[in-house]
Amino acid sequence: MRRMLKLSLQKPEMAASLLLLLLVVFFQIRSDLVFLSYDNMRGMLGYLPEVGLVAVGVTLLMICGEFDLSVGSVFALMPMVMAVTMLGGWGFWPATGFGLLTCALVGFLNGWITIKFAIPSFITTLGMLFMARSITVVISGGFPPRLNMAEIPEHLFISYVGPGDLFRASFLWFVAISILVSLLLAKTNFGNWVRATGGYLPAAEALGIPANKVKIACFMICSVLAGLAGLFQVLRLGSPLPSIGEGLELQAVAAAVIGGTALAGGIGSIIGGIIGAVLIRVIDNGMVMSQVDSNWFKFAVGALTILAVVGNSWLRKRGRAMKVEVEK
Amino acid sequence: MKNFKRLALVALLSTVSGAALAQEKLDMAFTVHSASSNVFWQAVQKGYEDACAKIDATCQMVYVQTDGSIQEQVANMEAALARGPDALITSIVDNAAFDDVIKRARDAGVIVIAANVDDLEGAAGNARQAFIGQGFVAAGKSLGRAQSANFPAEGPIRVLVGVSAPGQNWSEQRALGVMNFLDEYKAANPTRDIKYERIDSGTDLAVVSDRIGAYLLANPETNAYFDTGFWHAGVARVLADRGIAPGKVLLGGFDLVPEVLEQMKAGYVQVQVDQQPYMQGFMPAMQVYLAKTVGLAPSDVDTGQGIVTPGMVDAIMEMSAKGMR
Repeated sequence: MRRMLKLSLQKPEMAASLLLLLLVVFFQIRSDLVFLSYDNMRGMLGYLPEVGLVAVGVTLLMICGEFDLSVGSVFALMPMVMAVTMLGGWGFWPATGFGLLTCALVGFLNGWITIKFAIPSFITTLGMLFMARSITVVISGGFPPRLNMAEIPEHLFISYVGPGDLFRASFLWFVAISILVSLLLAKTNFGNWVRATGGYLPAAEALGIPANKVKIACFMICSVLAGLAGLFQVLRLGSPLPSIGEGLELQAVAAAVIGGTALAGGIGSIIGGIIGAVLIRVIDNGMVMSQVDSNWFKFAVGALTILAVVGNSWLRKRGRAMKVEVEK
Repeated sequence: MKNFKRLALVALLSTVSGAALAQEKLDMAFTVHSASSNVFWQAVQKGYEDACAKIDATCQMVYVQTDGSIQEQVANMEAALARGPDALITSIVDNAAFDDVIKRARDAGVIVIAANVDDLEGAAGNARQAFIGQGFVAAGKSLGRAQSANFPAEGPIRVLVGVSAPGQNWSEQRALGVMNFLDEYKAANPTRDIKYERIDSGTDLAVVSDRIGAYLLANPETNAYFDTGFWHAGVARVLADRGIAPGKVLLGGFDLVPEVLEQMKAGYVQVQVDQQPYMQGFMPAMQVYLAKTVGLAPSDVDTGQGIVTPGMVDAIMEMSAKGMR
């Protein structure tokens, strides 16, 4: 029992999980039990796959020791590429494939430039943030193209599914992808390489791990997931605005950090990133429900970020200090 | 003879250069507080560029990288001014930050026209020569008045006012206009139970949908939501998802973008105020032309508080596709 407690306390996502639990209870009481109501859950679960998928990609990349600040722009770029190519006569699937390929290319460029020129990914992706947003505006011609929803298989992406139509198909995609990326990180050689590359790069290279390829792969996964998330949002809201996803990059980094991912890399978990993203949504939504002055929203997310990281560090220390009997 | 030739050459050169000067293109810059990804501004840019093409002027539209960044806009104005343009057109989203650069521009003989957003003190606020745009408080009042015709005839009235960008003139003033109207409405209907609240609604379709969706769940008695931009289009989707019939929660806001027009057709958005962005781009360039060629003083133009209702949507959609509405 004590051993399990010690292990749990050392898990990177523990502090965020506890905070999430506390906040859900708090908002449920404050909102006169409306917070966990069917309609509110339905609304939140519709939005969650979009921010959640971005957080999954960013968390993976941060564990690998790199940053991606361009995810918010890629979030807008992918659906715009899809919409514009569809307008040009392409079918939905080729247009979507082309959009995702564009994201993969952006991810590749992020990784390749970072490695080739040995510059911080913070800088590379900051530049890409501006370039991708600019391309989005340019290809839209300034005006958002209308999507012909008749050509889009909505049942595969945004139609309500599940018990009582509680969540959309995009939620199933999100769960499946999260499980896949978690398994990739926990059960495969690639996952070990990611952690080793982010943990201590010289050692990883000395062990023969293809660190550069691992990093580029993580950049590409991150970009593709951001693009897919953008697609879900545009299909849900029906409008490929070139402004969507602005500021999303900082939210995704905050989600990863709240979920226990170390800024220096090597430590973190996909579930932690997801919990971080859920926490941010819970705060935003819960504060509206509780009729808290909305000017405090950003303060709450900022305070939470600090609190979660401090809590994580404290819990980990307590876990390490806890003595357990060693089995003989 | 030699002197005569020299004199003739000088006279010829000055005539040629004078003619060249007379034909020199007008040079102007339009600096705004928005990022280029905001679709509203694309119609302003279209109007501006169309006008520039008609008067054969060299024109530049300068956006900021971070939506609403005043310091970036001031820096852009400084840069534009350094090039020595004939005119500077700018939105004035802050009452003090732009005063100095506008004064320096005027001192240097540059025509300065405010467009889209003006100093709260109007002409007294700084040295700009004219304002071409919407009177935001008045527009907010117009929106409130138009939507009030759809308020329930009896029972309490609960209204939510979404301030898209707290602290920015355009958003705060529009919200103020709506709230001023609601106060007047309350005073005119003393027997009715009327309350309103304001909320930081945001400028992202998904965020606004989520926030207002949550508010409506916590406050199901809400009759109407006013947005200071066009982001209530996302709220319409939330209502449709929840199976709430159009008109149960009244929606209204500002500016015409395709998504809003679609929701007007669906019946979820009843009233929208059009500030005619194409005119906000077109007219400043024309006024600069008139000032430079005929010597006319730039003057204020109210680009409108036109109320758009669902019956007008089809005609507007046609113009919207051309980027003019």
